[in-house]
Amino acid sequence: MTDYAVLNTRAPRIDGPAKATGRAMYADDFNMPGMLYAAILQSPLAHAKILNIDASKARKLPGVRAVVTAKEAGLVKYGVSPARYDETLFAYDKVRYVGDEVAAVAAVDMDTAQEALELIKVDYEELPAVFDMFEAMKEGAPQLHEEFPGNMNAEVHQEFGDTDAGLEQSDLVVNHTFLNKRQDAAFIEPHSCLAVFGLDGRLTLHTSTQVPHYVMRTVAMVLQIPVGDVRVMKPYVGGGFGPKCEATPLEMSAAFLARQTGKPVKMTYTRQQVFLHSRARHQFYAEMSLGVKNDGTLVALRNKAILDGGAYTSFGIATVYYSGSLLGGPYKLKAMKYDGYRVYTNRPACGAQRGHGGVAHRAAFEQLLDMTAEKLGMDPVEMRLKNIMTTGDMTVNELDMSSLGMKDCIEAVRDGSGWKGKKGKLPKGKGIGMACGFFVSGAGYPIYRSETYHSTVVIKVSEDGGTVTVLTGSAEIGQGSDTTMAMIAAETLGMTLDNVRVISGDTDLSVDLGAYSSRQTLMTGHATKEAAEQIRNRIAQYLAEEMGCDPSSITFRDGVVLFDGQPGNFEKIRSNYIKEHRGWTDPPHGEYLTFREAARLAFLKGGTLVGTGKYKPPRLGGSYKGAAVGTSPAYGCSAQVVEVTVDLETGEVTVDNMTDAHDCGLAINRTLVEGQMQGSLSMGLGECLFEEVKFDSRGRVLNPSLGEYKIPTALDMPKVKSIIVESNEPNGPYGAKEVGEGAIMPTIPAILNAIYDATGARMNELPVSSERLYMAMEKQRGE
Amino acid sequence: MKKIIKLIVNGEKVEAAVEPNRTLVQLLREDLGLTGTKHGCGLGDCGACTVILDGKPVNSCLVLAAQADGREVLTIEGLAENGKLHPIQQAFVDKGAIQCGFCTPGMILSAKALLDATPNPTEVEIRTAISGNLCRCTGYQKIVEAIQAAGQALAGTEVS
Amino acid sequence: MLLPKFDYHEPTTLEEALKMLSELGGNAKILAGGTDLLVRMKQKIDMPSHVISIARVPGLDAIVPRDSHGVTVGSAVTAAALSRNELIMDRFTPLALAASRLGAPMIRNRATIGGNLVNGRPAADLPPACMVLNASLKLKSAGTERDVPVVDFFRGPGETMMEPNELLISINMDTPPPWTGGAYIKLGARKTLEISMVNVAALLTLQSADGPITEARIALGAVAPTPVRAYAAEDFLIGQKPSEQLFQKAGEIGVGMCSPITDHRGTMEYRCMMIEVLTKRALMAALERARNWQP
Repeated sequence: MTDYAVLNTRAPRIDGPAKATGRAMYADDFNMPGMLYAAILQSPLAHAKILNIDASKARKLPGVRAVVTAKEAGLVKYGVSPARYDETLFAYDKVRYVGDEVAAVAAVDMDTAQEALELIKVDYEELPAVFDMFEAMKEGAPQLHEEFPGNMNAEVHQEFGDTDAGLEQSDLVVNHTFLNKRQDAAFIEPHSCLAVFGLDGRLTLHTSTQVPHYVMRTVAMVLQIPVGDVRVMKPYVGGGFGPKCEATPLEMSAAFLARQTGKPVKMTYTRQQVFLHSRARHQFYAEMSLGVKNDGTLVALRNKAILDGGAYTSFGIATVYYSGSLLGGPYKLKAMKYDGYRVYTNRPACGAQRGHGGVAHRAAFEQLLDMTAEKLGMDPVEMRLKNIMTTGDMTVNELDMSSLGMKDCIEAVRDGSGWKGKKGKLPKGKGIGMACGFFVSGAGYPIYRSETYHSTVVIKVSEDGGTVTVLTGSAEIGQGSDTTMAMIAAETLGMTLDNVRVISGDTDLSVDLGAYSSRQTLMTGHATKEAAEQIRNRIAQYLAEEMGCDPSSITFRDGVVLFDGQPGNFEKIRSNYIKEHRGWTDPPHGEYLTFREAARLAFLKGGTLVGTGKYKPPRLGGSYKGAAVGTSPAYGCSAQVVEVTVDLETGEVTVDNMTDAHDCGLAINRTLVEGQMQGSLSMGLGECLFEEVKFDSRGRVLNPSLGEYKIPTALDMPKVKSIIVESNEPNGPYGAKEVGEGAIMPTIPAILNAIYDATGARMNELPVSSERLYMAMEKQRGE
Repeated sequence: MKKIIKLIVNGEKVEAAVEPNRTLVQLLREDLGLTGTKHGCGLGDCGACTVILDGKPVNSCLVLAAQADGREVLTIEGLAENGKLHPIQQAFVDKGAIQCGFCTPGMILSAKALLDATPNPTEVEIRTAISGNLCRCTGYQKIVEAIQAAGQALAGTEVS
Repeated sequence: MLLPKFDYHEPTTLEEALKMLSELGGNAKILAGGTDLLVRMKQKIDMPSHVISIARVPGLDAIVPRDSHGVTVGSAVTAAALSRNELIMDRFTPLALAASRLGAPMIRNRATIGGNLVNGRPAADLPPACMVLNASLKLKSAGTERDVPVVDFFRGPGETMMEPNELLISINMDTPPPWTGGAYIKLGARKTLEISMVNVAALLTLQSADGPITEARIALGAVAPTPVRAYAAEDFLIGQKPSEQLFQKAGEIGVGMCSPITDHRGTMEYRCMMIEVLTKRALMAALERARNWQP
């Protein structure tokens, strides 16, 4: 491995102190003079015609400054994928789920805004509603959108190779079905934003988002103002995980109200509203058939997915494609058939959540592999090792594994967990299970059809002082992207990290598609590296001129300059610098020319020094329909081994420990990579054992609170052994690729496979509550 | 009708006129501009609003501002002294225990309450002390390591 | 989330508090820890026009031993204080254990035993513990005072036999005899922050370290409209030699005392099975402590 000065270390993240002291400002922390508080009126009914909206009483309430409904906001359709713009900001003809937005109010304080909401009178004519995706597909089911008969939001049919023939030629075909429940991202910071219109008509939107760029475009489109007049500034964000990947009614309402009142408008969702808004994990039904040879070689996979998409499309097109495309790897298959259906129901819309459409189907598939291994009398680890792809392989659906440390990951967790000494040797009630997974390092295509660069970055060198500022539209949401870009810039420029600053998440700075599909390390990283290289080369050129040497002989490292590896004769540069800075008490000193002096020289010779970088993936993927989704310049992969203890009398599952290996190409920052691994595991554990959004018979969320929607606490999470694997990705900056989403893929199936090992019960419905497992064990006892 | 309350916040005397239905978290965040204390759920389920009230960690979203009359409150802003991070804050920074940072203020204060009472806690004691502070980003591992390191730093037995 | 508007009162003496209660009666709610009341108010389930805080009323937040015969626990004593008090941990173990499992640390620093009893939630943690300890509740109003056995206190979900003008002052318990041990077990989804699906408190008294059972009390929560004592199971145990099989049978009998519902936390069938299992386990744990009883 290359010897890096800054990369691959455990440098403390640059925003740590701000967060540790409470100085970091999140959207709801902002205050502006004259600020108004806004709230949204939501439908109490799951499906109803809107006959009339009377906001007159609300408008008259003292303290109310504006009320907007569809009448004032207009009917511009929006969504995530332009091919499925199926929402308007406010419902105008009908509401489609409990929570659908009907109006918004801005008032002098929150109490008044809430009171005003209660004064808005909406006359509804209730319509029959449908809450189950299977029911929604049936003939005669209530229809949500006229343009989508049968409530079929999207259908995907893909086949690679001849699956029927493959299954026929297989020695063994194993079938499996799997069902999860709707889940929630449960970030601790609810959505929040502050919208301000300047006197010049420009909108500045401070908002807790993962995607300033997409928010900017959607808000401009819906408000019908020029996109250049919209500036989205992302403050610190308290977690995103997917649902903050799109423009929200919160942002658009606040913008309309700000425009109407001429005042800054702040709006924050209550926790209950976060649940009603959702755009989180879909419910997936999986049906699979896997054909294998007697020696364990995988032959063909038939895969079906039915998704409960809720009332609108949101990210759902990508989701229903991912449920198929993300099973193309990391194992070799000769043929794969995928049929996916995303269905509308009268429930909150579902979107992207960590791992996106891949998580549920990966869980089903990794169980299916274990079931197959058992029938063949093979060890699950051996079954995987026999079939995994390797660097350079291409999946049946034309995804290119430009690097794939799958073998290293599997061996690392096998050995790190003591698998060989435990598998098959644990007492009843104790189990060990394993699984693998992989994920994109950024989607190969933007959400809107465009040749746009996915990331651009500007780096500016201070004219004096030798500090460098990275300006990027990318979104630091807690994953550590700011620190990552600072480290890449520092490494490339040969600087020390403490002299690099990052300003990010502002659409005025550059284009960046944002923090989703695990893209920023690779894509924004590339752009950062390129911008830094530009600067380094320019500085080297000026130095070469000054020193009369060849620019290619100049290197930068640890904040100093080397000429042919030597200190060089730079006295003149230094003495000029010191003369210029008479009175300073910290003159540059030491054997080597410092970056500070070199940067100053560059300014004196060439003016302000700015570098720009840009990145767009090359044309990727096959030429079949939907080929775009699943393509990526690189793929991260991982393997996990989990040990559980099952209380055989109650069905309670305790996860005792987890061993996790993730191939991230190169860990830019080892601590940050481990953090993403451990966080992914905790979300996977919660989704497997506790998490479920529950509804009553009228489509109302029963548990819209963090008390009743249960994410793991510190007492539920075990110790995790995190092992970083580095396969050196050729398409990644310095060999780096993703970790943020891929790490969750093996978690659910590893736990399920461990539960099977402990009890003999094959749980194929989530969450595996104690009752569900208990009943499954009882049924087994009866059989 | 508003009530005049007098309390000590981060060592400073504070006087405020509050409506009965104003919560302590609203007083801190909106009236005193101490936005370090976060609001995650409002129902005591997440711990993001943790402050130390008369020496004990509580969910400030479930304390009326009026109930804080005559009491002492410590928020995250009150930990660092003269710009120098408290050892617990430093440990969180050093050990990678912070990702999005939203749970961090509450987590650090729960840790402080623990280490004040139990200077050498076991891992179970640490996990129990922070069991009311939800984190979605970290999986708690590095938070536990940070609190262990902070305990050692406070006890004077630093471990690098 | 916002609290609705209300008038706030902070009496500084018990007399003042009781006078307020008699004047405001049904329009007032007592605020102690607030971890239940303020949550319900934010959810608009309770919207009292008056809130009376008892924080300044002296004498309600102490744990007062009565020689070695018993203890009087003030209604404003927090769950945290109960869980750490040596006397409660030693002699009134189910109460200390239940208090330690209530909510999470920050909630325990505010939630009071009074609130946990008076709110009358079937799944509350402290009532079963109080029931096996045969607690007696002192209620006062402006003109009256009465002591009510905790087993008679609960009427239905959210309902007790307290009058609107009454205040719970203290919880009185007699020290259990030698060779007594107690336990508390709670079943939820996560390891903390849970409202029980089923919870069980148990107290066993033995004749001697190896002797038969002379007294047995079992109380169950979350499996009926109120917390309940499983009298039939208790009677079954008296005079018997303790064993796991015996306790299993007691659990089976205990199920008969219960009428759990099916709700989004769990089904009736599962709750019934868990009553058996948890009762057995609580009795085993109580037995262990009874056998290790120290004077």
